[in-house]
Amino acid sequence: MKTTEAIKSEKQLNNDDEKSLRGTLVSVGFVAAVIVVMWVAVFWIYMERV
Amino acid sequence: MEQSLKETIRQDPKKILGVNPLDAKVSLSYLTVAFVSLLIGGILGLVQGLERAGLIDLPSWLNYYQVLTAHGLLLLLVFTATFSIGYLYANLSHALGGLLPKVRKFAWVGFVLMIIGVAMAVTMIVLNEASVLYTFYPPLAAHPIFYIGLVFVVLGIWACCAGVFINYRHWRKNHPGQVTPLLAYFTMAVFVLWFFATIGVTIEVFTLIPWSMGLVETTNVMVGRTLFWWFGHTLVNIWYLVAISAWYVFVPKIIGGRHFSDKLIRLVVILVVVLNIPGGFHHQIIDPAISQSIKFLHVFMSLSIAVPSLMTAFAMFAVFERTGRKLGGKGLLGWLKKLPWGDVRFLAPMIAMISFIFGGAGGIVNTSNQLNQVIHNTMWVVGHFHITVGVSVVLTFFGICYWLIPYLAKRKLTPKMNKLGIIQTVIWTVGMIIMSGSMHIVGLLGDPRRTSDTTYGGHEAAAGWIPFEMLFAVGATLLLIGVIIQVYAVFNMMFFAPKGLTEYPVAEPEDDATPAPMWTERWGLWIVLLLAVVAMAYVVPIVDMILNAPPGSPPIRTW
Ligand code: HEM
Ligand SMILES: [Cu+2]
Repeated sequence: MKTTEAIKSEKQLNNDDEKSLRGTLVSVGFVAAVIVVMWVAVFWIYMERV
Repeated sequence: MEQSLKETIRQDPKKILGVNPLDAKVSLSYLTVAFVSLLIGGILGLVQGLERAGLIDLPSWLNYYQVLTAHGLLLLLVFTATFSIGYLYANLSHALGGLLPKVRKFAWVGFVLMIIGVAMAVTMIVLNEASVLYTFYPPLAAHPIFYIGLVFVVLGIWACCAGVFINYRHWRKNHPGQVTPLLAYFTMAVFVLWFFATIGVTIEVFTLIPWSMGLVETTNVMVGRTLFWWFGHTLVNIWYLVAISAWYVFVPKIIGGRHFSDKLIRLVVILVVVLNIPGGFHHQIIDPAISQSIKFLHVFMSLSIAVPSLMTAFAMFAVFERTGRKLGGKGLLGWLKKLPWGDVRFLAPMIAMISFIFGGAGGIVNTSNQLNQVIHNTMWVVGHFHITVGVSVVLTFFGICYWLIPYLAKRKLTPKMNKLGIIQTVIWTVGMIIMSGSMHIVGLLGDPRRTSDTTYGGHEAAAGWIPFEMLFAVGATLLLIGVIIQVYAVFNMMFFAPKGLTEYPVAEPEDDATPAPMWTERWGLWIVLLLAVVAMAYVVPIVDMILNAPPGSPPIRTW
């Protein structure tokens, strides 16, 4: 049997989960990674060819 | 509280009456032209793909550059412009409670002018009098009627601009102290950009007409290219604004969520409008006659557009995550699974957004000086814009069709049509990944764009491109199948789908959202800022090109 306290904090947790934007952070990080990787790759080709 | 029927009709007539049939007719006419252009342009695209792969030889009465001019013009200009106008006028009508009768007239005048203009330009292309490609760079010279046709197209667009500005002002006058609905706000922004984008190219075309008629002997090539890209670069962001209007306003509703902060959305719109135009020289990075510092300024300005784009990426991810979590998504990325992947109204714009991650990153590559030396005028560029406009923009447009057209035609989207839409979206996506992916890679290997025959006498470097060119043909074939399905779906939903009412899926703000501030409505100020930035970027180089002009060029016909 859970105490009211525990239920309350669990609710809090779920609620936090519902409001969380961790996935957004990861996704935006993915966007940044694509930009960096593409840029570096083409820059590397440039350096190879000059 | 119960409202009387009369009250409801007055406050929100569309709830009861649906779209005004006269407004629907305007939009449906524009959309019809759009999808006829898509069909013709798509067929030409396949012809190009097959020709480049060496799988077909064009008959003697048709040359590659003629086909390429028509493909570029019909898809890049006619399809995107007519779709955008049909869609945005529907939004305006929906958001402001119907178009003013005067405004509807402007839209029709615009329609007729554009049809006349396109007919003139296309006729000249068909007669092989205008194989100048969609950029019509001087000194390539087309028949004067081609340019006169372009003037008509611009006049048509200006008529549509006037209509939007009039309706917007009318609404503002009657709603003091209120911000305009988001959809009307986007529409206003797009047409402000249309207006200022087309000024430069109109001046260019007016100088080319007497030149092509032989009344003037030479033309200033650098000024022509510069005025073209003032327009061309802005056109890109016109599409972008149209596409994100759907991402911000409709996609959240379709997935069962709320739209992101009204204030942020309007800020993104203002940034794109103000910062946009002075990026044109990133298309001319290897052109002579432009000083390094001016090129640097344009590169900087075009990179500044990444700011609103990244804000959009963040906002959209946040909308998806919030909605997905509300629907029970757990863990780091579990919310993704809760999104309605089986609904074409979501799937198509979602793939459009994902592809913009790669398209946008490619754009940053293109605009960087050294990197541009690697990709300039190669097939990479063609791959780039088939991903950006061909997927990010076009798939968003396709996705919009599945609710907009039934709504306007007072019909319904059937589950069967939804399924066909999903199949279409998948075919388009796979086709573009194959075609645009191989174009990117072979571009890095040096394969030039805008070139019918790239065998170079069997040189080994050129031989290495052939497998990739075969892949263009495979992708192109899938894409034409996609075009045919889409055109079928559009006309089916317009004329044959079962009668019924379709929702206009406009998202609501979050419950605790603060309303957008009134200062966002100060269009006079945004336009002054826009002009200031344009002046900063263009006055010095254009004056320089005119004062220190090299000998001008007579008209040249290479075909
Ligand atoms: C059936 C779908 C499509 C196919 C198979 C296709 C294929 C091609 C090919 C093979 C080229 C020639 C590249 C060259 O020689 O440089 C090309 C160019 C081009 N395509 Fe497409 N494309 C398709 C759809 C689109 C769409 C939807 C748009 C825009 C809305 C578009 C815009 C353009 C533009 C602007 C060019 C460049 C023209 C020029 O360099 O003057 N295409 N396309
Ligand atoms: Cu540009």
